Amino acid sequence: MLKLIQIEFMKLRRRKLVWLMLLASLVMPFFAFLYYGYFGKTGIDPAAFYKWSAFGYTMLIILPFVLGMLCTILMYNENRYDMLKQLWIVPVSRLGYFFSKFFVVLIYSVCFMLITAIASVLFSVLPGYVVFEWGSIFFLMKKCLEIALFTAFAMLPVLAVTASQKGYILSVCITLIYAFAGFFMTPINMYLHPLSCVSVIVSRSGDIPGLTLPQAVHAPVAILGIFLWSVAATLFAMVTLNRRK
Amino acid sequence: MNDFMIETTQLTKMYGGQKAVNCVDLHVRKGRVYGLLGRNGAGKTTIMKMILGLTPITSGEVSVFGQNIKGREKRVYPRIGAIIETPGFYPNLTGTENLEIFARLRGTAAPNAVKDALEIVGLPYKDKKLFSKYSLGMKQRLGIANAILHDPELLILDEPTNGLDPIGIAEMREFIRKLSVEHGKTILLSSHILSEIAVLADEIGIIDHGVLLEETSMAELEKKNSKYILLEVSNVPKATLILERQFGLKDYSVQGDQTLRIYDTALDMAAVNKALVMQNIAVASSQLCNDTLEDYFKKITGGEGIA
Repeated sequence: MLKLIQIEFMKLRRRKLVWLMLLASLVMPFFAFLYYGYFGKTGIDPAAFYKWSAFGYTMLIILPFVLGMLCTILMYNENRYDMLKQLWIVPVSRLGYFFSKFFVVLIYSVCFMLITAIASVLFSVLPGYVVFEWGSIFFLMKKCLEIALFTAFAMLPVLAVTASQKGYILSVCITLIYAFAGFFMTPINMYLHPLSCVSVIVSRSGDIPGLTLPQAVHAPVAILGIFLWSVAATLFAMVTLNRRK
Repeated sequence: MNDFMIETTQLTKMYGGQKAVNCVDLHVRKGRVYGLLGRNGAGKTTIMKMILGLTPITSGEVSVFGQNIKGREKRVYPRIGAIIETPGFYPNLTGTENLEIFARLRGTAAPNAVKDALEIVGLPYKDKKLFSKYSLGMKQRLGIANAILHDPELLILDEPTNGLDPIGIAEMREFIRKLSVEHGKTILLSSHILSEIAVLADEIGIIDHGVLLEETSMAELEKKNSKYILLEVSNVPKATLILERQFGLKDYSVQGDQTLRIYDTALDMAAVNKALVMQNIAVASSQLCNDTLEDYFKKITGGEGIA
């Protein structure tokens, strides 16, 4: 598996968009910096700043969309240029192929959220909005890693769908719909959509101020929701990849 | 035990209600070049895909290296190199980088495997040109390089000269022959180009509408193909009269106003020419001819030639 993951990264050479998309991790920390700068507040609660910079739109919209784009990029060439049959006769297993892509998404997700975390610290501590303390930084890192991990799993359905597409337009549209569906479904039912489930898991301790959820928080149910979607997505991907020869 | 590297028994493939491949019995011997000849859409690629396990078989059996490939992919695939249809590669990578990926996937041990494979097909090593900038011929060469990268015993090449220029075709033919003769590789190749199969193959399978019409060796085929004398004369009716009366000839056919085909090639042509000229029949030409592979193809498919 490690070899397959390394090869997946080799395939991303000269794909500038992959690295440019990481810049999106700076968007919300920067807006949080502007927002608190506008009110001129100092000594604010770190969790309140981080809710803006990392636990809000970054988690709900930006990261899912960026990961969906990455899924499309990872699957596009092999589908578009009819390369799968060359890989099958190496042989590369369908499951290994699918999960090597997933691990790239997971690593990318972790990198993205780590950059968000570092940027959040820099944009909050350097201007003096937040007092530097290790406790709040560990809290931020922990939450960012949780978001990265669970969002990557929540994106498995998108990865599975992109495996069935030869073009990228439908894949990008599906990514957009998927990300926004998660955002809009959270107030209705938090346990139906995998991205809503991520919100439940992240806010399970109630330690993010201002983040209110409409239903009672049951993290195990949310984890089960993501798990069931992941299994369904993997099965769908296996069927699709078996058909694509 | 037979020495077949590939053997199919009653191999059939249905798409919907239509038979794309119909009860094909194919036999590829070790160390030989087997040419699968047929028109576009005859079922050549489908047969190759079924042999490689890339498409499910509707009925029948495939044996590669004497065993069924299903469930033994990890052991069998490393012994096979293949290009099926137009080979695709990552457009954002160079040829060398693309091959390095496949070499790593296969766990190719030879340190110079990529360099050697590129050299064999005449592509530069560590070139900066991206695959997206390659011509069709270069793409085809890279596909072949990928197929031979791990030094397989069996090569399955679907239309290997597709997209190559005339010099490239000649080089590729020479290269395929070299692989067979010098390196003892067994090669199954498909083509719709008669001349290509005639030059390359030791054995030939003619396929039409999914049916393997004939499977024979080129040597056998040459024996089977009828030889005849093509005679061009000024007066055909008079000439036939002389041939029948003086030479007792019965095995001939009239091809046009001035042409005769004589199938008795043992006939003394000097005497025939002399007799015809003595009767004031001008002989424009007389030559020994052989049915071409195209003639044979037409004969057994009952239709038009293909190339």
